[in-house]
Amino acid sequence: MLSEAEVSELLQFLTPGARPDVKGRATDYMLGMSGHRDGCRFLRSAPDLIRCLFALTSDPSIAIVKDCYHILINLSADETLHQVLVTEVQILPVLLKNLQDPDYVFSDQISSILSNLTRHTPTCRTVLKVLQEKLGLAELVQIFCTEGFNKKAKLHYLAPLLSNLTQLPEARSFLMAPDRCVIQRLLPFTQYAASVVRRGGVIGTLRNCCFDYTHHEWLLSDAVDILPFLLLPLAGPEELTEEENEGLPVDLQYLPEDKQREEDPDIRKMLLETLLLLTATKAGRLTLKEKNVYFIMREFDRWEKDVHVSAACEKLIQVLIGDEPEPGMENLMEVEIPTDVEEKLKEADAKEQEKLKQEEEEEEEKRKSSDAERTEGEEQSGLMK
Amino acid sequence: MASTAVHSDSDDGMDDFMDKFKTQRYRNALSENNWEEEFDKIPMFMKKAPEEIDPQKHPELACIQSILHDEDRPPEEQARVLKDEGNAFFKEKNYQKAVVSYSAGLKKKCGDQELNVVLLTNRAAAHYYLGNIRSALNDAAAATRIKPDHLKALIRGAQCCIDLRRFPEALEWCDQGLRLHSTDTKLRELRASADKHKRAAERDARKAKVKEKKMLGEKEALLAAINDRGIKLYQSVKPPQHGSDSEEEEEESSSTRIAQLSLDGLSSKELTGAQVVLDQQGSLHWPVLLLYPEHQQSDFISAFHEHSCFVDHLTHMFEELPPWDTDRKYLPRNLQLYFEDEGKETLYQIHPETSLLEVLQHKRFFVKAGTPSFIVLVRGSLSFWKQYLSGKKTEKL
Repeated sequence: MLSEAEVSELLQFLTPGARPDVKGRATDYMLGMSGHRDGCRFLRSAPDLIRCLFALTSDPSIAIVKDCYHILINLSADETLHQVLVTEVQILPVLLKNLQDPDYVFSDQISSILSNLTRHTPTCRTVLKVLQEKLGLAELVQIFCTEGFNKKAKLHYLAPLLSNLTQLPEARSFLMAPDRCVIQRLLPFTQYAASVVRRGGVIGTLRNCCFDYTHHEWLLSDAVDILPFLLLPLAGPEELTEEENEGLPVDLQYLPEDKQREEDPDIRKMLLETLLLLTATKAGRLTLKEKNVYFIMREFDRWEKDVHVSAACEKLIQVLIGDEPEPGMENLMEVEIPTDVEEKLKEADAKEQEKLKQEEEEEEEKRKSSDAERTEGEEQSGLMK
Repeated sequence: MASTAVHSDSDDGMDDFMDKFKTQRYRNALSENNWEEEFDKIPMFMKKAPEEIDPQKHPELACIQSILHDEDRPPEEQARVLKDEGNAFFKEKNYQKAVVSYSAGLKKKCGDQELNVVLLTNRAAAHYYLGNIRSALNDAAAATRIKPDHLKALIRGAQCCIDLRRFPEALEWCDQGLRLHSTDTKLRELRASADKHKRAAERDARKAKVKEKKMLGEKEALLAAINDRGIKLYQSVKPPQHGSDSEEEEEESSSTRIAQLSLDGLSSKELTGAQVVLDQQGSLHWPVLLLYPEHQQSDFISAFHEHSCFVDHLTHMFEELPPWDTDRKYLPRNLQLYFEDEGKETLYQIHPETSLLEVLQHKRFFVKAGTPSFIVLVRGSLSFWKQYLSGKKTEKL
């Protein structure tokens, strides 16, 4: 892309001592370059340029710093650049140090970069390692959960960072350490109205954590009490009888008439998936049945319009009202599926996806039709599938 | 000493000395009879310190005390002594005295902050066991101001907030504590407890709100039903209003009307506590008072269906003549029913076959104290009847 000569020229323009207007033009140019894939790929072979840009994040000019961070965000979005950024330019220690500073202006940008870097497992591992060394996961959660920690930055992107980190079992172990109080602090954010990024990230984190079924009992116990926080975003203002109310978890009783459900369908789907994960064990199923999760799901099913989310909801309802599986099959995550059955299931899944896609298209066409109120009859047919 | 004693193996006269004890008592000996009592009075062997140290009775103790609390010693030492004293009282569960000691220790204002933190934390504990939760909380807070990571103070603070039902504050104490002592079990348990209580309290608030709303709705429906029928409620402060011509005012001040409705109901002289009820079918049931001025008696009907007629009730009630009806005159067919319009000093006679609703809707009928009342006279009681009615105008409905 650029010749060696051009690169060395740029390098000169990007030194801290260079003239501000020249610096500005150079960073502007780099920003443009980082905006598309070829530019990013080229930069992979020019780590010195990246090193300069990174150094310029300490520049006195806010405009320059902002551009540099923007470039770094773009670069971090490309997986092929992770090695360079983390191992050669070694951006992590400095970024983490600045993150701890409550007055640092660009902490949101740092959060985005870290979130990008942790999307794929290899770099995620490295980030977690450095994080534990330099900052500590506990401190990260603390910063994330402290309202107003940084006056200049909202730090919402720490949520997808956490979510990405919990791909790794070490991170999950730490978050769910029973002798600490870490995951509990994340729970209230499942209803954080001001940021869909924060909300989604937290729920993603919880979903990942629920893949470890050995922790389910603890998660559902009073020590954590994860269930209400998963149900509240799905619960609506519908009036239930006093009897029905008294059978629900405390946080879901007597909800006011202005209660709103989670507006993002992807987040709703994640919540349902998390609840479904919690039904993997017999104990989990019993708990969810005892706490009358079905009532909430019944009302939710009536309300939900998105076909993908409805499908997830119906799966959950089936488990809640279905019979217990036979002995030996009680832990759904440990059941061995014979290969031919697995094939058939994969086929059925693919067909279902296609069908859903078709339905989605049909829905688009009949956008003006009135509300399809789901009747008990339709729920019945859902059972028979 | 020279001696002519029989056995004197030793030169130092030890044996003689020893022999003396067989006959003579040593000075300051304990008396044989109550040596245990006297034993207890010796400071060294005291099992328990006396409540008050009277220098006359216990000069040795008083002496020791003054050494301990010597004003000349440096404040840190004095404070330390007072801390130990407080701890001793605490162990005996004498929390009142412990507080006194700790307070005295703090008053020394010694420079040893570690010591002051301990004094504050211990005093907090003593206050806690005395039930002075607020004081305990203050002391715990003061302790953490000096030493923010003092675990005992953090735990005490959180516990106090829970006891005071200040749950969000309790959570703050716990979270602050867990930041510094991330694996402390007690803090973790307190946090879970505070969180649980906080959410239960939120639920209770929601539940109360729902109930209040329901009650308000019921009251509004009731008032609307009464207004729709054109029934007038007598309000002692404001002049009687007709249902129809003040609709605007009604909507604005319906809550005050409801308040007055309940107020009126309770201000009833009979204090029956009964109130008009709107049933599932949309009919009103009124509490009704029947007055028998001739005999200074009354009857109370707790739920008079608005569509039922007086004659039904009267026939049933006077199936058997009441005990106060000495002349046996109050036969159902002889009864005469009236209601009084106090404003115009008029009695309106009611035909027994009329329903309650019809009467209530009469333009001169005002429901007082939420309880319609009616006067019952007997045709045959000429003298009373004439007397009673002489001062009043009558009209037939």
